[in-house]
Amino acid sequence: MVVFVPLSLLSIGGGASLLADMEHQSVTVHGWTTPREFADLFAISRAAPGPGTTLSALIGWKAAGWRGAVTATIALYLPSSLLVYGAARLWGRWRGTVWHTAVERGLSPVAAGLLLSGGIAVLRVSPGGDLGRGNRGDGVVAALATAAPVGTFRHMRRPVRAGRAVVNFNPRPEATGTISGRVRNAQILDLRIL
Amino acid sequence: MSEGVPLGGATAETGRAVREHHRVGLLAIFAAFYGLGVTSFGGNTAAWIYHRIVRRRHWINDVEFLSDVALGRIMPGSGGVNLTVQVGQRLRGSAGPVAAVGGLLSGPLVIVVGLALAYTRIGLSPAVHGVLDGIAAAAIGLTFATGLKLLPSGPARFGPLAIAFATVLCVGVLRWPMLPVVLCLAPLSIGLALVQRRSA
Repeated sequence: MVVFVPLSLLSIGGGASLLADMEHQSVTVHGWTTPREFADLFAISRAAPGPGTTLSALIGWKAAGWRGAVTATIALYLPSSLLVYGAARLWGRWRGTVWHTAVERGLSPVAAGLLLSGGIAVLRVSPGGDLGRGNRGDGVVAALATAAPVGTFRHMRRPVRAGRAVVNFNPRPEATGTISGRVRNAQILDLRIL
Repeated sequence: MSEGVPLGGATAETGRAVREHHRVGLLAIFAAFYGLGVTSFGGNTAAWIYHRIVRRRHWINDVEFLSDVALGRIMPGSGGVNLTVQVGQRLRGSAGPVAAVGGLLSGPLVIVVGLALAYTRIGLSPAVHGVLDGIAAAAIGLTFATGLKLLPSGPARFGPLAIAFATVLCVGVLRWPMLPVVLCLAPLSIGLALVQRRSA
């Protein structure tokens, strides 16, 4: 699993090139999966809860069973996590200084903008928001229908329940994309959402 | 801290106060992130962390959260995991990130492999896709709600709001690469925060 360690450190910004690299390594270089299997694993990893990069666990699992899954996960997350941990510790040392406060406050609007951008990026590739599929409206309506109640109620109590209501009203379930369609769309997306 | 950019009402200043009153247990951290991991469908972990950790448990405050989001996104690795590492570090020093990330990843790891197993045996039915799409829509809604909620507010909000909209325009709409955009806008925004602090 030497493959995932460099990937961990290369994936700045959530990994614009991560998916392509992963595909190259696991399909072409090591032959762990066929291209078709890779596409399916990708779709599955997007359907599961948790951070989007659980794909690495699936490739590891395909290559070497459970042990592979765990190793791939650790290899992908450990190096970057150590780096962030170091940065966070260093950062914490200056707590209370003028600079510390200014930087934290200065980053706030940028981060809020990034969160909204992430939402737009997911909307772009989500089924119903599929580019060129002509049913973009569904996804937008569903997302807004969820955002409105969740955002309006001050405590944002039950996003999942709100989502479930949306599921019930999902206007055209048959409008959902095929797996290969999803992967194609996800490749258009620069995976900043991961 | 009434000057500058007040954020998010009641939770804005409670994070540290709660932490100083009682240390959050490692088991509690693991449990919180485990629950978050297995229910955070749709990819954007940050929005779920905001909802569960900031709004519900008040373990960190809005400003801390946003600062961690920004750093987590510009550092290498998964933004969600990076954010988790930082929240864990704020809560419990060096053991916190281990508990938080372990909690966050262990559930999804099992679920995703289980899904893959099920998929190789029976395939995923269209009905399952429909349900997952609905959940994904909810997650997108939650992401927008979180982003909107955390937009700068208060008397000195116009500069920071402009920065936030510039970020959305460049990264979200025009889809420019995130790193250079953040590296341009963040210093601007930090400078603005310094100036506002001085004049406040």
